[in-house]
Amino acid sequence: MRILFILSGKELRAFFLSPVAYVVIALVMVLTGFSFKAALTILERSSSEWSLVLWTYTSYWFWLSYFPIFPLVTMRLFSEERKLGTMETLLTAPVRTWQVLAAKYTAAVFFYIIIWLPSVLYFLLFVGITGVDVVIPRGELAGSLLILLLSGIFYLAVGCFASALTSNQIVAGVMAFTLCLMHFLLGVFSLNLAGNLPAEIMDMVTYIAPHYHFQRFTRGLIDTRPIFYYLSLAAFFLFLTHQVLEYRRWRA
Amino acid sequence: MITAEKLTKRYVGRSAVDAISFEVEKGEVVGFLGQNGAGKTSTLRMLTGYMPPTSGSATVAGYDVFHQSLQARRQIGYMPENVPLYEDMRVKEYLHFMGRLHGMGGKQLASRTGEVMELCRISDVRRKMIASLSKGYRQRVGMAAALVHEPPLLIMDEPTNGLDPNQIRQVRSMIRSLGEEHTILLSTHILPEVEAVCDRVIIIDKGRIRAEGTPGDLVATLRTAGTLFLEVEADPQEAECALARLDGVRKVNSHRLADGWTKVEVVAESKIDVRAAAYAVVAAAGWPLRELVLQKASLEDAFVELTDIDNAA
Repeated sequence: MRILFILSGKELRAFFLSPVAYVVIALVMVLTGFSFKAALTILERSSSEWSLVLWTYTSYWFWLSYFPIFPLVTMRLFSEERKLGTMETLLTAPVRTWQVLAAKYTAAVFFYIIIWLPSVLYFLLFVGITGVDVVIPRGELAGSLLILLLSGIFYLAVGCFASALTSNQIVAGVMAFTLCLMHFLLGVFSLNLAGNLPAEIMDMVTYIAPHYHFQRFTRGLIDTRPIFYYLSLAAFFLFLTHQVLEYRRWRA
Repeated sequence: MITAEKLTKRYVGRSAVDAISFEVEKGEVVGFLGQNGAGKTSTLRMLTGYMPPTSGSATVAGYDVFHQSLQARRQIGYMPENVPLYEDMRVKEYLHFMGRLHGMGGKQLASRTGEVMELCRISDVRRKMIASLSKGYRQRVGMAAALVHEPPLLIMDEPTNGLDPNQIRQVRSMIRSLGEEHTILLSTHILPEVEAVCDRVIIIDKGRIRAEGTPGDLVATLRTAGTLFLEVEADPQEAECALARLDGVRKVNSHRLADGWTKVEVVAESKIDVRAAAYAVVAAAGWPLRELVLQKASLEDAFVELTDIDNAA
């Protein structure tokens, strides 16, 4: 536990001492800001069944900010250690491979949570500044944050995996981006094809596709299937990452 | 302190380390000598627990490096090749980090980092970013990091690689003084380094141990005791033929110098001194002689003879 704490501390420190952390936070704040503004505009024009929260967390602006996060947060985690050769110093100290992995992953998840905190502030600020009596539906907000966390847990694990595969940060980043986007687009494509696909396949796609999960959770509908789905996929990718790291040691 | 038993590392299609066995006693300074790619780094990586061996076993201070890896690692201060360090940390911070990974903390850690920074003479850069340090400083930071948890055994992979001559001398004198209290295993491909700092040498080539012993012992086991140089005023061919007929001579070479004299090199078996006999030959032929020198074999000759099998015969 102590080792995990020391190692995660080192990772978080590295995040916040490098410009990457601030660039990512700024990027997400700006884009979710646009998303929030767009949601307000829509609701100003006409009434909608969708709430402010739902519009904010499903707009194009939102998706634009969402996917760059994972490669940016995870790409340096293992690639940099490999490139510098510090993996060797780390793994010849009395530290186990899984501890290194767990510490780095925990740090990434922690940083990911920090990234999304400002977007919650928007809703509070909006009520505070305008004094308008809007209802910010708590269930929808909680559901949105939960699905953000769940999908993040999975995509960050994918990012770790990509980073463990190569000593080149750019390659790791592009790989993480591609894998995450492919997973997401699966839902979008099948949505467009919906009429032409048999019902069984559509059932499977709705189980897999994050697009549907977001639509449900942002409505405040908390479904246990995606929770299980994302957690088990994350565990699987972390397991793969561990195997890659060990494999590299056994043959390198 | 270290016992290696038939330690083997096989990569796809080739053996980097081929069933080597050796021991390092407590308090010894042992040099692992070999050309690049001889298997030095692979061996050290197996001992430090970074890489598991393909077969064979090794213990460090009684702990198996594979089955009791963490206990074994606590006994070792390891400085990997090219001294990898976290560029974005400050020197003191890095030493703290390494110390805490080894379970140190509080006052003990603070005083110990102060100590190793003094010892490695890096106190003046304690607040500098590692990225901004020169190669010599980085090497000493790496050494300080290896020492911070007070390990009884130090393992260093090419500790003087890439340093300038002054820095090399500093690092060597540090190793010598550390050797008074620590057991040290270092690898190098530089011969004078071994002669300068090591009690014992293990010569490794193509993954196998070719020889081991003190630098003096190794020279003594050479097939030649050295090379005898003569400068005579004679025909090179004649001189060569006459000297080659002597007992115990393995090889003779000659060439004419610019001023018309002839220089002859005579390589003899290690147990035979051919100086007197060679003089007798020269005197009998009536050739004027102006030089007769025996150049004793060095560790370098031993190394070349042991690792360069194609040309040694």
